[in-house]
Formats: sequence, C-alpha cells, structure tokens
Amino acid sequence: MNKTSTKSSLESEYLIDEFAPALERGPQWLRERRRVLRQEFNSTPLPRRGLHTWRYTDPNKFLIRHDTVLDTAFDNGYDDVEKVELAHLEQGHLSGLVIDHGGREIKLHGLEELSEKGIVVTTLSEAVSRHKELVERYLYQLVNGKTGKFEAMNGALFNDGIFIHVPNGKTVEKPLHLLHEAGGENSANFHRVLIVVGKNAELTVIDEYGGGASDIDRGVSYTNSAVEIFGFEDSMVRYVLFQRQAASAHLYLTHRARIESGASMLTIPLSFGASLSKQNFGVILNGEGAESKMYGLLFGSGHKHYDNHTLHHHVSSRTTSNIDFKVALRDRAVSAYTGLIRIEKGAKACEAYQENRNLLLNRGVKAETIPELEILNEDVKCSHGATIGPIDPLSVFYLTSRGIPQNEAVQMIVSGFAESTFKQIPKGLKERITDSVAQRLEDI
Amino acid sequence: MSDSAKQPNSDLTNLNNDYATKYGFRDPVDYFHKGAKGINHEVVEMISKLKKEPRWMTDRRHEALDMFFSKPIPQWGNTALLNEIDFQNIYYFVKPVKEMSKDWDDVPEYIKKTFDRLGIPEAEKKFLGGVSAQYESEVVYHSMRDDLKKQGVIFLSMDGGLHEQEEVVRKYFGTVVPPADNKFAALNTAVWSGGSFIYVPPGLDVKIPLQAYFRINVENMGQFERTLIIADKGSRVHYIEGCTAPIYSTESLHAAVVEVIALEGAYIRYTTIQNWARNIFNLVTKRASAYRNATVEWIDGNIGSRLSMKYPCIQLVGEGAKAEVLSVAFAGINQHQDAGAKVIHAAPNTSSRITSKSISKDNGRASYRGLVKIYKNAVNSKASVECDALLIGEEARSDTYPTMEIDNDQVKVEHEARVSKVAEEQLFYLTSRGLTEDEARLLIVNGFMEPFTKELPMEYAVELNRLIELEMEGTVG
Repeated sequence: MNKTSTKSSLESEYLIDEFAPALERGPQWLRERRRVLRQEFNSTPLPRRGLHTWRYTDPNKFLIRHDTVLDTAFDNGYDDVEKVELAHLEQGHLSGLVIDHGGREIKLHGLEELSEKGIVVTTLSEAVSRHKELVERYLYQLVNGKTGKFEAMNGALFNDGIFIHVPNGKTVEKPLHLLHEAGGENSANFHRVLIVVGKNAELTVIDEYGGGASDIDRGVSYTNSAVEIFGFEDSMVRYVLFQRQAASAHLYLTHRARIESGASMLTIPLSFGASLSKQNFGVILNGEGAESKMYGLLFGSGHKHYDNHTLHHHVSSRTTSNIDFKVALRDRAVSAYTGLIRIEKGAKACEAYQENRNLLLNRGVKAETIPELEILNEDVKCSHGATIGPIDPLSVFYLTSRGIPQNEAVQMIVSGFAESTFKQIPKGLKERITDSVAQRLEDI
Repeated sequence: MSDSAKQPNSDLTNLNNDYATKYGFRDPVDYFHKGAKGINHEVVEMISKLKKEPRWMTDRRHEALDMFFSKPIPQWGNTALLNEIDFQNIYYFVKPVKEMSKDWDDVPEYIKKTFDRLGIPEAEKKFLGGVSAQYESEVVYHSMRDDLKKQGVIFLSMDGGLHEQEEVVRKYFGTVVPPADNKFAALNTAVWSGGSFIYVPPGLDVKIPLQAYFRINVENMGQFERTLIIADKGSRVHYIEGCTAPIYSTESLHAAVVEVIALEGAYIRYTTIQNWARNIFNLVTKRASAYRNATVEWIDGNIGSRLSMKYPCIQLVGEGAKAEVLSVAFAGINQHQDAGAKVIHAAPNTSSRITSKSISKDNGRASYRGLVKIYKNAVNSKASVECDALLIGEEARSDTYPTMEIDNDQVKVEHEARVSKVAEEQLFYLTSRGLTEDEARLLIVNGFMEPFTKELPMEYAVELNRLIELEMEGTVG
C-alpha cells in the first residue's frame, strides 16, 4: 500500500492542476474542451516502453513538473534570427512573419497584403472570437487526447497559438514564416498551429522552432507543439518544418494534416537541433486523387537524440504518397525513425512509396529504422526501402585524389545526399539550411 | 473477374472443402498416458518423473514454470487472438507408446498409418538419414543409417539425448533460448517433451539431410517439443522438420523451442515447413548461435495454423559468421501468419541476409516482423532485408514491421519491401496463351515462391507446391 501511495504522489507532481491558468483561457466551449483534455492527460498512463513507437525514447523526458517549471526570459540571441527573418520579409521573400514567444506572446508582421486578399493570419486567441465557427470546427480535430497523452497536454495547456485561413480559390504566393522561440531552462512552451486551406487555394508555410535551454548543466526547456492542417479539394499546401532548438531543449511535436480529393500536400521536416526531440508527422489522404509527398532531412550532431515518426494514411481510393526521409549523423547523435504507410480496406488503386536513408559519419552514432506497411486491400502498389551505412570511402578517395581536401569532400557528399530535399526548400530558407549543414560539417 | 468478385462466397466456401480428406486426416488413437488438462507444478513433476529425468532437469522445469506464471502474454502482435488461449484447458503431456521403437516393424499400426499418409517410409527408403517422427509428445520411432552412426553423428530424441548424453545436454540446454526469454519459451522449458537432439562431431560433413516429422493428434493437446542441435567445429549438417496436423474443433497450442549451435566454421541449415491445422496457435522460439566463421541458415515455410508467431533468430557471436533466413508465409482464410526473422550482429565482419515472401489471400493476414541489430563492435558487417508481399483478394492484409538498430558506422545495411497484387499484365499475357485465370494465377504465385521452393529438397518442394495449389483453388481476383 505504501508503495502505491508513493508512486501516485510522485506522479501527482506531473498532473495538470485543476487550477492551471491556461484552462481558463478562451470562450466557454474552449474551456470545456481544455478541461476534458486535462482529464484525459491525467487519467492516461505514460506510454509503455514496450510499444515500438516508444522503444527508443523515454516518455518521462517530456513530462513537466508544473510546480517547478517557470516561464523564463528569452535569450537575446534569438533576436538575430528574428532580424534575419524581418529582413527576409522586407526584401520581399516572405508574405508575412509571425513571431511566437513560447505561445505566450505572438507578434504579427507584414500581413496587410494578405488581409486585403481576405487571407487570415492571426492568433488563436483572436480567432476564437473573429473566426469562431472555423476554429470551433477544426481545432482539436486532428491532434487531440486520442492521439496521445502528450497531445492532450498540449490541448489543455496551450496558451495561445496561430490560426491561418486561406479561403477558397485564394493563393498565398510567397512563403508565410512562423517563428516559434522557446524560453530558457525550466521553461514550458506550448505551441499550437491551426491551418485551414480552402478549395483550390494555395499556401506555403515555414514553421520554425528555435530557442530553448542551451546549457545542459543548467537545466532543460520543454516544448510541446501541435500542428493541424486541413487541405480542401484541389488545394496545394507546402509545409516546411525547421527545427533548430538549442542544445538542452526537449521537444515533442505532433503534426497532422488531412487532405481532400485532388489536394496536394508537400511536407518538409528539417531537423537540426534540440537535445531530445520526438516529432510525429502524419498526412491523412481523405479524398480521391489526393497526393502527399514528404521530404525529410535530419542532421544530428553532439549527443542529440531524435525520434521521428511519419504516417501516410490512405483512406480514399486513387491516392498516392511518397516519403523520402534522410538522416545524417555525426559525433554521438542517435536517430530512430518509424514510418508507417497504412492503406485502408476501401482505398483502392493506391500507390505509396517510402525511403529512409541513413548516413553515418563516424563511429559512435546510432541509427534505428522501422519502415512499416499495413496494407488492408490487394489493389495497391507499395514499396519501401531503407539503408544505413557510412560515407562510401571510394567516393571520398576519388574526390581527394582530385585535390579536394578531405573535409570538403565529405561536405560535398553530404550535400549530394541531401540534394533531393534541398531542392524542395523555398528560397531564403534554403540558404539558411545549407549554411546550417555546412556549419555542422566544418570540423569533420 | 468482376463477375466472380460479386459472388466470392461460393468459391471461398468450396476452397479447402477437401482439406480434411487430403491433409486433415486424424486416426483414432489409443493412448497410454494422457494426464489431466491444465498446468501446475504437479503436472511438471509428473512429466519429469515419467521420463525418469535427472533432478537438475526437474528443477529447471519448476523454475521455468514459475517464470511462465509470472510473465504476461505478449502485449504486441495479434493480442486479440493470443488472449484466447486458455492455458488450463490444454493437455501438457501425452505418451502414445511405452517404449521407443527401434525398428519400423515395432511401430504400432495406427501410427504407421498416419506416417504412410505423410510418406515417411517411402522417403526413408530413398535417402533419409534418420527418421525421428514425433507422433504426439514423444518420439516413437527412430532410425539412423548405420554409416552415420559409425561417423559419430548422434541423432536422438531429446529425451534420449538427455539420458545418453546428459553432460552435453546439461552444458547447452537453455543457453541459446533461456526460459526467461518469453512466456512461451518458459512454458516449453517447463513441460517440454520430445523433439530432436543432434550432435555432429568436428569436421564431419553430413551429406544427407536429417529429418523429423511432427504431428499433433489429440484435440486440445499442446505439443512442446524441444530441439537442440550442436554442430562441432568445421562440420556441416542439414536438418529438416516438417509438420502436418489434423483438423480440430477447438484451439490447440504448439510452443516449441529450438536451439541451434554452430561452433567455429560449422554450417547448419534448418528447414521447416509448418502446416498445422487452421485452429492451432503456433508460438515457437527458434534461435541459433553462430561462432567464428560459422554459417546458420533458417529455411522457414509457414502454411498452416490459425496464428503463427515465429521469428527465427541468429546470433552472430563470432567473427566472420554468416546468417541467412529465407521465409515464406501463406495466410488464407482466418489465418494470421506473423512471421519474420531476427539477426543479431555481435562480432566484426559478420553478414546476414533475410528474404521474406508472403501471400495473403481472402481475409488472411501476413505480417513480417523482423529485427536487425548491429552492435558497436560488429564493424564491417553487412545486412540486407528484403520483403515481398503478394495480396490476393479484397480482404487480404499485409503488414511489414522491420526494425533495424545500428550502433556503429562501419556497416552496410539495406532493406527493401514491396507489396502488390497479381499484376493484370501478367494475368492477361498468360490467359492470352490459353491458360485459365486460375492456372495463370497459380503459375504467378509459384513463380513468386520460386526462390524459396528451389532451396527445398525435392519431395518437400513437391509437397509445398501441392499445398499452394490446394490453397489457390477457386481463387478469384
């Protein structure tokens, strides 16, 4: 009996308190949803490590002790990135910039043109009153308590988020940049993004996650993010995730998109930072002829630990999907990748492809890959492939024999490896990404 | 095609109507010992006593039984089916004859009849090295060609091995598959009965395959055979295990443990074709250790059973060791073949190859579940995994769950999987040459299975082709 009471008291520090201030945010319906999600979080046990999706990452690492975790000040360093992106906006590379500090303070920049066209980019706290119907209908539809315990935590505790609505037939020509900055050590950051793209509409969005605790000895920052995207008939959505959180940040992120018939979705997860990250990207192909492509790139260095999942869920007939998920690791970095393609019984004549390539740049790294298929009908074309291996020494030899220094040769090979993903990245961000890769290869 | 698709039921019900006469034969049996149903320490004590086992084995059984009780049913895979197993409603020991027969003539007539249907005596006449036919829980017939005996090959029932080679058994028993490994390995260790014990002396090349046939024949009787194969340095051996079992009306459990040890430079190939009846749970732990420069190959066919969970494993523990797993699964009506392979690279310069082929038909479900683990010290290792799945019928399901865990960078790992249905172009081509659609489909399926069948000894390949033909009868696209 003693044993149980100790256990529950230990756990109670991690429960969401009845009086957590976030639960009181928003209109009546939202407060009710938050309370249900709080209940779901508190009553759901931690995922068992035996589940293959939790085999490589300890769920305890994403729990937050609500009594000790504080909202701390933001480092000045982040202003640099803000300046870079504000400059991009001024130079006309972006159609708008949203700067989100830990879900607490959200600043909107340069959105006048969009709003003239009737395109909505605003905070969720603003949207719940001005776009009440849309928000009430779509918020929590794809990422909720059923998705998992940590998704319930985000749903209950997110303070404010970002809402984007592109009405039918409207096109956002240049990328819209969302810059989320997390606080320092012992900070808890809840980000939420809801995107609704109407029929025949088009949107490119860059979802960037920076900041977080940088000094392992001083403590950890916690970020929990939820992204929901709806792409209606014949829409085209490009979603780029750029994750570059600091060296002592823990990040839990769940992305779910649902696309209807004739819609296209391009998802580009780029992961470079955070000491520990668990990211889950999923696209539900919910209408005939829908098409989804994912090009992922993960570059791990130091002692960083990555755990990524992708899901392509074919619900409708004649849907196609393709995943190309690339991983490069150096130092003592660890990556686990689980990718599921599921084709439902009623989804005929689907095509689904998946590829996961892992490049190991030195001894001491670890890579796990589990590309999964669940095919519930016969009328499919489906394949996946995965490889894990070092840089081909012959390629390095060839390049060095032409007078190229060893480290440049390695850089060239890694760039070649990442090329298929680079090609998909919008201009402006592309330079920052290639710089990030080059920086990480300088001393190899 | 659309015509037949509209009325699949008549075809589906006709399919396998002749299973009972062709493969589901069950002879009335007069049993010698048939204990009570259920499992407890008394049953374990009784089994051990009846077999006149040394005390250390009895103690191990008891320890394993406690592990069995303490371990939960696996929480992964087809948990709905697994939870249907009622462990207290199963016979854990049945002994059909009192003594082991040394001569074919001494084998009781009713058992011979069953074997005749399986073709054992005929096969023996031809080229079998030894027959260790497991009818019920114990080996009832055992013979070996004299020349093998002279060369020093020990091929006994596991019970015989325990009595005649106690020290060897004591040294290796439970070292590759410890009872704590999983719930079913614990159960097997507690109640094991029958199975084969093989020892091949150093440097000997056993030119002819050693074979054993397994059958289950009492309703609700579990079969818990235990096999231990040791190939000493530089030796070579091929062991074949084949199963067919009669049809029963209630669930039956088969939980075998197979331990294979290939010492330095040895080569072992272990071939199985599993064709248990459609109500049997086939939950088997098969594992091999390959030492320096040794090679182990699992050739594994899964046709029968209701639920099979079988992931033959090879631990490459010595430098330069090689592993090969070639498996085929056929999941027909109401079947779930959850099969796969595991390779653990724990030494440098090791290599492995896994080839898995599965066919899901009607509402059958075939899952590939596998693991390739490469440890830090296993530098310059190579691993490749290839999965091919063929789906036949709108309700068919195929899953692929490969896991690759790589802890060092001096490796080459590749994985590929494909899932598809029978291609329309191929069907069209064949039917345009005068084949019926069924014939064409059968031809395509046989072609799909070919990399597997060509690895089998001839009579097994023939039997497998017959089984596939039977499974494919009345198929609709």
